Amino acid sequence: MGHEVQGGLAIGLVIAATVLIGAFGLRLSRTTSDFYVASRSVSPVWNASAISGEYLSAASFLGVAGLILTYGADMLWFPVGYTAGYLVLLVSVAAPLRRSGAYTLSDFAEARLESRTVRQVSSIFVVTIGWLYLLPQFVGAGLTVQLATGAPGWVGGLLVAAVVVFSVATGGMRSITFVQAFQYWLKLSAIAVPVLFLVLAWRADGMPTPGDGPPTFADRTPVEVPADLRFDVVEPVRVLVNGVLDGQRYVGEPVVLGRGSHEVGEGALLTFPAGSTVPHAATVEASDNASWARPLTAVGDRDHPVYSTYSLILALFFGTMGLPHVLVRFYTNPDGRTARRTTAFVLALLGVFYLFPTVYGALARLYTPDLLLTGRTDTAVLLLPERLIAGTGGQLLTALLTAGAFAAFLSTSSGLTVSVAGVLAQDVLRGSVRDFRVAAVLAVAVPFALSLWARSLSIADIVGLAFAVAASSFCPLLVLGIWWRRLTSTGAAAGLLVGGGLATAAVTATVGGVDRGGWTGALLAQPAAWTVPVAFLVMVVVSRRTPGRLPPHVGRTMVRLHAPESIAVPERRVD
Amino acid sequence: MSNTIEPDSDRLVTVQNSEEFAELRRKFRGFAFPMTVVFLAWYLLYVLMSGYARDFMGYQLLGNINVGYVFGLLQFASTFLIAYFYERHMDNKVDPLAARIRSQLEGGQQR
Repeated sequence: MGHEVQGGLAIGLVIAATVLIGAFGLRLSRTTSDFYVASRSVSPVWNASAISGEYLSAASFLGVAGLILTYGADMLWFPVGYTAGYLVLLVSVAAPLRRSGAYTLSDFAEARLESRTVRQVSSIFVVTIGWLYLLPQFVGAGLTVQLATGAPGWVGGLLVAAVVVFSVATGGMRSITFVQAFQYWLKLSAIAVPVLFLVLAWRADGMPTPGDGPPTFADRTPVEVPADLRFDVVEPVRVLVNGVLDGQRYVGEPVVLGRGSHEVGEGALLTFPAGSTVPHAATVEASDNASWARPLTAVGDRDHPVYSTYSLILALFFGTMGLPHVLVRFYTNPDGRTARRTTAFVLALLGVFYLFPTVYGALARLYTPDLLLTGRTDTAVLLLPERLIAGTGGQLLTALLTAGAFAAFLSTSSGLTVSVAGVLAQDVLRGSVRDFRVAAVLAVAVPFALSLWARSLSIADIVGLAFAVAASSFCPLLVLGIWWRRLTSTGAAAGLLVGGGLATAAVTATVGGVDRGGWTGALLAQPAAWTVPVAFLVMVVVSRRTPGRLPPHVGRTMVRLHAPESIAVPERRVD
Repeated sequence: MSNTIEPDSDRLVTVQNSEEFAELRRKFRGFAFPMTVVFLAWYLLYVLMSGYARDFMGYQLLGNINVGYVFGLLQFASTFLIAYFYERHMDNKVDPLAARIRSQLEGGQQR
């Protein structure tokens, strides 16, 4: 079996490159300031590549295509929102934030509001959002390694965790910048090159389209079940079963699956005849092809599509600025003007990348419908080449995609780990470089442990929830903190706790498995549309009620945020 | 940063209360806030059209490509367009003003 060797080799190469480039950067990192923010001496194009490299996570590389495969057109909002979030960030907060001179979101909160309490509340949300975002990276790594090498699901996550702790703990931010920039270009090539071949293969196949009915198997298809599974049959179908089905063991015998719910054991092989309707996993409620191609058709258990879609858009647009690993990058620009330039480059780099997952998602509907049955829709990107292109060509493309996916896990996880560890080191430990290393281990250990039981969750969905929490906590803090001088420390703390707290509660309920149906389900699954306004409202109302808690140096801080950086406003030391 | 100046607090307060500084912030907000509203509305329009003007959005222009997809691509394009306008606005309107405030401060600094 050649493809296991190739998959393992691809993963090994990406890890080796990450560690080597990290080690190269290591020699350049000297001081604590170097360690956290790369001495603010990185050019806009490098920095934009690094930001994009860090930003394009498992959700972008694997998750978006998986959601498009299952739910269709509505999911196009994920790539649009991920990109447009940068526009909101650029226009509303990028330059002032850069001028604030803080290293982390918590630093910004403390510098602007001059309050330890606000700082601590911010730190709690930095860690919450960071963990929520790291979790799907480990899930994705598990799936990818399992698919590439046949290793158990936890191996991939552990591998990523180990590499990230090593490179973050030894290199800090300086080396990370180079690693991230390299990984953007690796990811772009890894996702773009196979598309050319896949589209050619699709043309050679007579350019089939999904049609209007439910998704079907084009050819006779054997499906190996990767883990115990409950699934729903939409149309009765006669399959060959090898393994345990509905509590009975079969050895290559034909069985008629009636409409309704069935259970199948791990390792079973179900062979479906050509043209039969694809059953779907209990966790994945797939749509028929007609509503798949149309937006806002309330697919499966996703009710109230207009509300849900707009809420998702709000979360993605306003959440980007509140992601801990995104923000810290703006401090690596020498001034506000380069910060703007960098963001414009980022928009272009992200826009180019996001054209591709859509193509994978659409092709997956045709060529990997069995993933709807196994529920492993996040692996669609990795499976497509071998389904469309026979022999070594397909295997090489799979290896390339595996490498790209791994680059995605590594880069996003490193960036997040730097940020979460930075906050943990400064606010929980004492802030030395040694503490930073201990904090790096803490930062990955918790989400890795969570990833072991969260395997059935969709990667892009969890990332969407992280955005919702960020939009409900840091977006109001940043926007009001920068643009409204009457924001008080009490108001900020109250808004963070109420907005971020409500969003976190909604997210916990969703991840914990609360029914997504009906209005309650929709409001909990996509909380941003109500939690973001609530957070703003609480901040404004409480600030108005507590004018006495206005930070004493607010005038100076505002000049610092809004004046061109060449006027150095003396920094208040905050330690 | 060799050309950095460090004005004392009095001068900072003067800057902060000055007409120019107010103008600087006004120029920035005057662009950023309306633009954010316009583009959120533009995205909302797309969502609403997809929900309630199905026939229009589903109208097939060419093969499988319908109005909805073209509209979707336009959303993407508009993102870049706004970024471009923003960049131009900042370069032409805001940065020169910022530079003027700076040179005034520097002038005051040299006494």
